[in-house]
Amino acid sequence: MAQYYPGTSKVSENRRHFADPEQDLEKLREISDEDIVKILGHRAPGEDYKSVHPPLDEMDEPEDIVREIVTPIDGAKAGDRVRYIQFADSMYFAPAQPYVRARSYMNRYRGIDTGTLSGRQVIERRERDLEKLSKELLETEFFDPARTGIRGKSVHGHSLRLDEDGIMFDMLRRQLMNKETGHVEMVKDQIGIPLDEPIDLGEPLDEEKLKDITTIYRVDGDAYKDDKDAVEVLHKIHVTRSQGGYCPE
Amino acid sequence: MDIEIFPYRIIGADTTEKLLNGIESLDDVKRTVIHGPRLPPDVPDLNPKYKDRREITVKGKPIELKIRVGRIFVELTSESAIKEVEKICDDVLPFGYDINTSRTEYIRKHKTVSDAIKYGVGEDNLPDELIGMTDQTRQLAENLDYIDYDEVE
Repeated sequence: MAQYYPGTSKVSENRRHFADPEQDLEKLREISDEDIVKILGHRAPGEDYKSVHPPLDEMDEPEDIVREIVTPIDGAKAGDRVRYIQFADSMYFAPAQPYVRARSYMNRYRGIDTGTLSGRQVIERRERDLEKLSKELLETEFFDPARTGIRGKSVHGHSLRLDEDGIMFDMLRRQLMNKETGHVEMVKDQIGIPLDEPIDLGEPLDEEKLKDITTIYRVDGDAYKDDKDAVEVLHKIHVTRSQGGYCPE
Repeated sequence: MDIEIFPYRIIGADTTEKLLNGIESLDDVKRTVIHGPRLPPDVPDLNPKYKDRREITVKGKPIELKIRVGRIFVELTSESAIKEVEKICDDVLPFGYDINTSRTEYIRKHKTVSDAIKYGVGEDNLPDELIGMTDQTRQLAENLDYIDYDEVE
């Protein structure tokens, strides 16, 4: 059996929940395909996918056993460009966080390249596959309109105090609270270019729900030191890594 | 003595207005400084339902709020007023706050060389009650609002 994450706490259980591709993620909101394309900002809705090489069927590829074993994803078959989506997760009980995202992406999706940076996580994939993946990431538990930012650039804010209405700081102000409806709306695409019409991302999750699904250990939530199993495994990794590192033979 | 009110969230215009009116209504409060990141400049075509920048009214005086408030420094004449400030904060800041008293002064009370260069020395000098009330990098009038209590009812 695959071992995704050690620990007995709720947070560790949630980390396993995200990382295990066998477990279905709860769908929390509905965002249309067209809105996803607008948020990503890589092409105009309805526009054809640009390609960087001819479709694989038309290409004369060299004989290679790996090419036969691995089924290419749709975008690769069609020769799409590689495009990205990037998220910043607030440390105030955001549902996901960069390392959990990295582990989950690797376990759940094919044909991706993901990178963990300080406070943000980028994922790259062929364009048409990226759109499908983005839809899943935005509609499910991975995303909270207030605590998770869709930020292609200018990601600063994950460790800052939240605004009074629970929105994470964003210097480009892409996700804003609509004071009339109480919903968060996306007024700019992920790199900050204004959209013609705001995109409704739905209501922010309430604090209890967030604490229930979060994957972040916090002293005012589930403290890491209280999760004895997780600490023990970390300790073991630390010791063996140090010893092995000092004597690689 | 000075205290620092540190809300657990960055507060918006409505809450700032309530909090400042509450604090300013106390007799023991001498001076108040609000501190935080600047709000973006007023964008005329931004839909009003998203706007944060607005004019607030403190003790009847309209003040243009230019920042999102992250900290409030208050100078008190007696320590007993902290309890009253706590009472106001309990009402206005339901998400929690700290009141810090560890420093002897949160609002600067000594004149600096910068003050002398900027505001001059001698008769033109900065009055004592305005020392520490302003951002060193800005003009005094840009970020100081003076409520004259002789005129407030």
